[in-house]
Amino acid sequence: MSVNLSVNLAGIKMKNPVMPASGTFGTGREFSEFMDIKSLGALVAKTVTLRPVVGNKPPRICETNSGMLNSIGLQNEGIDHFLKHDLPYMRKFKVPIIVNIAGNTLEEYAQMCRDLHGVEGVSGIELNISCPNIKAGGIAFGASARLAEQVTAAARYNTDLPLIVKLTPNVYNISKIARAVVSAGADAVSLINTVVGMSINIKTFEPCLANITGGLSGPAIKPIAVRMVWEVAQTVNVPIIGIGGITTAEDAIEFLLAGATAVAVGTANFINPRATIEIIHGIEAFLKERELTDIKQIIGKVKT
Amino acid sequence: MFQVKADILSKEEVIPGVFSLTIVSPEISRNAKPGQFVHILCGSENDNFVLRRPFSIHRVVPGRAFEILFRVVGKGTEALSRAKIHESLDVIGPLGNSFTYSEKLESALLIAGGLGVAPLIFLAEELAERYVKLYPMIGAQEKAKLLCYIDFKRMGKKTYAATEDGSIGHQGTVVDLLNRTIHQIRPQVIYACGPKPMLRKIAETADEFGIDCQVSLEAKMACGIGVCLGCACVTKKGYKMVCKDGPVFNARDLVWDQDEVGRLPSGGCMCETQETQDSD
Ligand SMILES: Cc1cc2nc3c(=O)[nH]c(=O)nc-3n(C[C@H](O)[C@H](O)[C@H](O)COP(=O)(O)OP(=O)(O)OC[C@H]3O[C@@H](n4cnc5c(N)ncnc54)[C@H](O)[C@@H]3O)c2cc1C
Ligand SMILES: Cc1cc2nc3c(=O)[nH]c(=O)nc-3n(C[C@H](O)[C@H](O)[C@H](O)COP(=O)(O)O)c2cc1C
Repeated sequence: MSVNLSVNLAGIKMKNPVMPASGTFGTGREFSEFMDIKSLGALVAKTVTLRPVVGNKPPRICETNSGMLNSIGLQNEGIDHFLKHDLPYMRKFKVPIIVNIAGNTLEEYAQMCRDLHGVEGVSGIELNISCPNIKAGGIAFGASARLAEQVTAAARYNTDLPLIVKLTPNVYNISKIARAVVSAGADAVSLINTVVGMSINIKTFEPCLANITGGLSGPAIKPIAVRMVWEVAQTVNVPIIGIGGITTAEDAIEFLLAGATAVAVGTANFINPRATIEIIHGIEAFLKERELTDIKQIIGKVKT
Repeated sequence: MFQVKADILSKEEVIPGVFSLTIVSPEISRNAKPGQFVHILCGSENDNFVLRRPFSIHRVVPGRAFEILFRVVGKGTEALSRAKIHESLDVIGPLGNSFTYSEKLESALLIAGGLGVAPLIFLAEELAERYVKLYPMIGAQEKAKLLCYIDFKRMGKKTYAATEDGSIGHQGTVVDLLNRTIHQIRPQVIYACGPKPMLRKIAETADEFGIDCQVSLEAKMACGIGVCLGCACVTKKGYKMVCKDGPVFNARDLVWDQDEVGRLPSGGCMCETQETQDSD
């Protein structure tokens, strides 16, 4: 009995629902030494910005109970470098590529969407809207329904590619933000990005991160993420990429049951570089064990 | 680099709180170069900490195994110290760059503080095979805590030791010892590993005497393979990753001054402002 693991994510045809989360997989180059990148459902690049970003001061990471804090600061070489050097490499794997972009202004998002127009090998755009909008006084685009709607609309106007908006959990009502971005033309949403946190070294009385606060990821945030995916699935009618603390196939299945069409694996890649592959195999085994033939038979099937 | 499930061949508590483990891995042993490290999953799945821990490759058993030397400082190393012979460990390696030397190298000074000696034994063994004249210099609080003194002795090297209480060798720090002896030794290159303040002083001395100096740095790291960009250190060419661009750096390329670090540009989405971003 064969199992159909394929999903259609807003027009992106994936042979299975598993992809890496932005910023945790590089271009796949390093991971290709440990696993077959071709087996992934999709590849997601680290956030690219219009111009190069140097990133934050070290220390940039610190381990916490069942998780880690990071304040990398979106270090990247800019979109021109990405298109010239990284994308051609990623294309070789022949899996759908989702390009994650972030900007300081609406115009920067729009410009990058135009830069990605018609580029071979780009299957979709993911908007990282956890960045502060300088003009609006540094408030994150993703923290305000109005700004989230504006940035989605600006991107939508400039691209025909499947548009995924990545939501931040650092808001009071994530469903409201999800509704806003879908009304502005998002084809899918991905959630969650990291949860703002802080850790203090009690020997030195100093914050563990030079940036003082950072983003929490890993198993510690999984229940928050599952709850948010479930809530958003009740609210909007577009596919969801579930993200947050996924380490095993069982974790991924929770997200699928909560209503995610696909999942992205982040921090777990650092601990086990084969995590994505093992999750794919685990999902397949889970379905077989229950004599299910199609992954769609579990998506959104939580009994509430 | 390889990810292997590798058996522990032997284990020894070298001095209280410092352990050596010999781990079987032909892949890692064959490919390892002095200065490189391995990334080890410490503890069981049920422990509530997650990341791997980096350890320098201390020496290799050619074609068969490699050794690490580590001090118990926290929960990861504590868990690793409880691992038993024949148990298997999940190890990724060899990782990072390595110490470099020219074919013509004739003399080298190897200087370490505490556990910094770990990668220098592997380096010393390789250089000794090439008949490079070696000057090992190691330091500790007291004689009983001096690591690898015997190892250097066994290699037939005159070993310079510094102890805080003077129980063996020079009384004082290994940096004092370096400053006292450098003009007699005049090595072509200095290889150093240890705490950052110590490395900084060594780099200053090397600079003063116009000697090439390579240092092995430490930083908190997550992936160990250059993708998460977590283990940044500051160099004159901007941020570099300790795990991939390092851990070995030319001392001259590093920015040592914390004030200088404070003036560096930093920023999340903000490419041209000084603002920082919470996270990714
Ligand atoms: C490239 C590299 C090579 C290393 N080689 C060796 C070695 O050969 N032998 C050895 O004993 N140690 C080595 N270290 C340091 C070792 O990785 C840490 O001691 C270890 O990760 C601590 O883990 P823990 O869970 O026991 O401590 P934690 O509970 O994580 O922390 C305990 C203390 O150790 C410090 N620490 C934690 N992680 C690191 C780190 N990555 N680098 C520096 N300090 C850290 C913390 O600030 C804290 O003060 C190396 C580090 C690097 C980056
Ligand atoms: C080191 C690190 C870097 C990250 N970089 C990015 C990034 O560049 N863009 C982005 O949208 N998310 C980034 N993220 C967030 C992840 O994509 C993911 O949303 C989050 O870590 C939660 O998933 P996890 O618990 O599986 O890691 C980063 C996370 C980590 C830990």
